Amino acid sequence: MQLTVEALTSGYPGHTAAVDGVDLTIPSGQVAAIVGPNGCGKSTLLRSISRLHKPSSGTVRAGDEDVWQLTQRRAAHRIALLAQSPQAPEAVTVAGLVRYGRHPHQGLFRQWSREDEAAVREALEATGTTDLATRRLDHLSGGQRQRCWLAMVLAQQTPIVLLDEPTSALDLGHAVEVLSLVREVAAAGRTVVMVLHDLASAARYADTVIAMNAGKIVANGPARDVVTAELVKELYGIDADILRAPGDGSPVVVPSAKARSVRAPEKTAQAAEETVQAPGETAQAPEKTVQAAEETAQPPEKPVKQSG
Amino acid sequence: MSAPEIPEAGAPEALKAAQADITPPDSTAVRAGAFSWLFPYRSALAAVGLTLVIGVVVALATFASSTGMSFSDSLSGLLGTGDYATVMLVQDFRLPRIAVGLMVGAALGIAGCLTQTLAGNRLATPDIIGVNEGATAAVVASVVGSSTGMIGDWWLGPLGAAAAAMVVVACAGGAGSGGYRILVVGIGVSTVIGAVTDLVMSRENDNTAGGVFLWTVGSLSGRDWSVGTPLSFVLLVLVPLSLVAGSRLQLLRFDDDMAATLGVNVRRVRALTLALAVALSGVAVGIGGPITFVALAAPVVAGRLSGPTRVPVIGSALVGAALVGAADALGRVVAPVEIPVGVITSVLGGPFLLWVLFGKNSEQTGKA
Repeated sequence: MQLTVEALTSGYPGHTAAVDGVDLTIPSGQVAAIVGPNGCGKSTLLRSISRLHKPSSGTVRAGDEDVWQLTQRRAAHRIALLAQSPQAPEAVTVAGLVRYGRHPHQGLFRQWSREDEAAVREALEATGTTDLATRRLDHLSGGQRQRCWLAMVLAQQTPIVLLDEPTSALDLGHAVEVLSLVREVAAAGRTVVMVLHDLASAARYADTVIAMNAGKIVANGPARDVVTAELVKELYGIDADILRAPGDGSPVVVPSAKARSVRAPEKTAQAAEETVQAPGETAQAPEKTVQAAEETAQPPEKPVKQSG
Repeated sequence: MSAPEIPEAGAPEALKAAQADITPPDSTAVRAGAFSWLFPYRSALAAVGLTLVIGVVVALATFASSTGMSFSDSLSGLLGTGDYATVMLVQDFRLPRIAVGLMVGAALGIAGCLTQTLAGNRLATPDIIGVNEGATAAVVASVVGSSTGMIGDWWLGPLGAAAAAMVVVACAGGAGSGGYRILVVGIGVSTVIGAVTDLVMSRENDNTAGGVFLWTVGSLSGRDWSVGTPLSFVLLVLVPLSLVAGSRLQLLRFDDDMAATLGVNVRRVRALTLALAVALSGVAVGIGGPITFVALAAPVVAGRLSGPTRVPVIGSALVGAALVGAADALGRVVAPVEIPVGVITSVLGGPFLLWVLFGKNSEQTGKA
């Protein structure tokens, strides 16, 4: 199902629009990654598409239906969203969590149909979580948990799947695992839109990279056309070299050693320290670890990015 | 972080994985064509057990007497074969009072179940969030100026409860706001309203104040079918609605965003649930006075019996009914002078509260 966003403007009262006149078309079976600096409006865009934040103007269409005209339940048949750090019911098991994904399809006379059962099994299988089905979610590792959440979203069987930074709390290995899974989901015909912080994974795993800055789309197209040194400069205010991965020629962003001009220079020393320390902080700040793992090869001038 | 568990390729493992039980726990799927239901056998078993308990409570209450009426006298009164006074005592006083007690308990149990689930906190009962105080104040205020000092206008209970709830919701920033704010504001509002109630009472003469006081601790004394009949009609409407609310509330165990993307209209569900809880506890308090502890305990006990996966609306009703029924019967016979049901439940409530707070039950009551 094609996802269409037209002239969407969305924001919070008293502030400039977080999303400012965005137009997008994402065809069936494609993976689109939205990238951009913190506060560029990418999360608000995702929330406006998934009916969590009412846009002030513009339309969001799933196929040819206006998403904001549907009932909550009908919308949940079209669009599923995996938020950044969702909160699970206490003591829920993996199977219990994934079953909740079937809620939009259930009712007083349809409480646990064969379709529900098949969808849950399928989702567990696709995410490799079948063996975890009877385990408690809070007893699992971060990587396992994320796959379980993904299973829940898949069990919802929506043609459109939205993911808000699905890899932000994962180490490199688990992040790649989840992103590969995302590709499989799209290959099965679903439309996937995800917000990603990491340009390199966006470039490698998405068919389309959508770059946002200050609420507007500044670039939209295949990664190898879109990810340029100019774009990186525009989004993050840093100079970078764009290399080509030896395997498939997808762009790799290597920030230059020069300190970025927009940030105060005194922060650099502290940031460098954080980068060095980050691997030891795994327990407290897993998202930092991911960043650190990717950034250890880089010069220390670049401050550690915060997710958000 | 451990390595991801990849299913073994071997056939036995694959077979075992394919058969992993994913049916909701404690339930059996019943399917017919396009229709399917889940029969919650554990909840059903609990309901049967509780019904039996209520049966025993009713039987004991029917034959329990503070005046030393013998078993055979009570039986003859029940069957209508005894003398006029005995028949009247049993059939017109004792039986309706038992019935009203059961219904009041059921209403309190459901109200507690709804507010606890809504706020995601075992302590968020109507007692605490100001609804009961509102109902009490309204009924007490109605007595002021009336010469008889009788508590009669039970329907003022729900009105007062609704007024208090509106104040709490307005101060907490809407019915859709998080449970924590509702709790804090509720405690504040109920203290204020409680003070008003005390003030009104202190200005009454001793006779009136004495009669009212008995009621303000929770008493079913003298309640008969004149309140029992309207109460049963109210419950006939509110209980099915509560069942619907309960099934939706299950999704609010996620955060609101997740519940919304799973197709739940979060604001509507919250508002409906709060309205139901206010109506139920308001009616219950209007009739029986602010009987404490039942709304706190019934859902906790029911949750234990029927398992953690469901919102135990029916179970809470049954436990509440059993509690109030038993406490009222106990209060009638345990001392020479009748002890109001609310006093009995308060005495039981303290230890229970401590058990909820400190008991080794953090897995199920993690947020308490």
